[in-house]
Amino acid sequence: MFDIDWMSLALPFAYISVLGGSLFTFSTIYRKRKATQSANLEPWFPPHLQRNIYLSLLHLEPEAGQEKAPKVPDSVIRAALLRRAVEDIRRIIQIRTSKAALNTLLQRGSVGDDLNQRFLRAEKEIEEELRDVVSEANALAPGWGQVIFQSANEIAANTALRSRLEEIEAKTESEKQWWEKRRETIQKDFMKELDEDATKDSTKGASDDDGVLVDATTPASTPGKKKKGGKK
Amino acid sequence: MSDLDTFTLLPLQIDPQTKAVSTSSPSRTLQTELTHLNALHRALLTLETPNQVPPPPIPVNPKRSANIGKLRDSGNAEHRKGRYADAVKFYGLGLQMALTRAPWEPQQLVREESAALYANRAQAHMALGSWAEGAVDAEASVEAKRVGNPKAWWRRGKCLVEMGRLGEAREWVARGLEMEGGDADLLALLRDVDARIEKEKEREESEKKGKSG
Repeated sequence: MFDIDWMSLALPFAYISVLGGSLFTFSTIYRKRKATQSANLEPWFPPHLQRNIYLSLLHLEPEAGQEKAPKVPDSVIRAALLRRAVEDIRRIIQIRTSKAALNTLLQRGSVGDDLNQRFLRAEKEIEEELRDVVSEANALAPGWGQVIFQSANEIAANTALRSRLEEIEAKTESEKQWWEKRRETIQKDFMKELDEDATKDSTKGASDDDGVLVDATTPASTPGKKKKGGKK
Repeated sequence: MSDLDTFTLLPLQIDPQTKAVSTSSPSRTLQTELTHLNALHRALLTLETPNQVPPPPIPVNPKRSANIGKLRDSGNAEHRKGRYADAVKFYGLGLQMALTRAPWEPQQLVREESAALYANRAQAHMALGSWAEGAVDAEASVEAKRVGNPKAWWRRGKCLVEMGRLGEAREWVARGLEMEGGDADLLALLRDVDARIEKEKEREESEKKGKSG
């Protein structure tokens, strides 16, 4: 009674299997592409040079013709770890300062989701990195893990301050030369004007002009006329 | 992609005698990083702490602070006696000492000390009439300590005025007033600068009239 006519059902079954198959392939390919895309997202930070140096020192290759790798003294390892911590501090500061700005931009829809993905990954990476540095520091010297980032923070801040001060000090020479030239021209102008005044023998506007020009040249002739008292 | 479990092996060598790390790679960033590393290593070797690990930033070793204070005091003494060139020298030595502090010592301290020394050196330069140097030193002082440093703001302003850079001076002093919240000396200087700018304008106009007429 229930005699199924398989032959006539073949067509619908074929239709369903083709549909299911195509949907499945589409979804796998789509997901795979998305995964590679997010894996290929550009990292937020450039390669961590200090970390590479530190790890390279730990895994130093033996030189050609020698069997054993050269022994790296602990002090060098410690210095390399400290440099690595300093770089980490710089990265943390960058992450913290850009976080608020990025969130606002994201809410407004001004930046894409890719950027957020990259940022979140960088944040997670830096957290791992910090934990790693602390454990390495504790392994190198007991208790160093608690203070290494304090030291690194000061080192980062000090280097920034010093480079700013050096930049400003570097201007001294050019400023000095500029002022020398400027003073000469002022003096020349002044002399010329004096000559003109003498030949013209006029009084018109001369007093006003002189007043200004004398002001500009007094520093050269009377050093230390004005002092502001009180030193620290 | 930077993975946490992998790293790039760099071609590094270490000198067995000097313990200096070097590389065969021509990369300039790597080279500079290694010079920094070697400098830090040498600095760490001078430490007397156990394991030669930098101590926490606080407390500070008082030896250097005392030396810097002494140099500043001798600079101040020379300044009072009117020997400004010697004062500049002493302040310069003090600055050198303040800026060569070990990098892991608190930067706040470095800022305080160098700000005071730069400001004092600026004053000595001003007394000598070398306005260009004074202006630069005062700017450095402000860079080291932006707030609570009205003297340095005033000194650079004054130097700029003396060099005839009135526009620049006005901008600088106005910024200083913003930071220092209406310091009396700065206000006086601002009025002075404005008066000078006014005068300059009048002079130019009268010159123009004189030429056309």
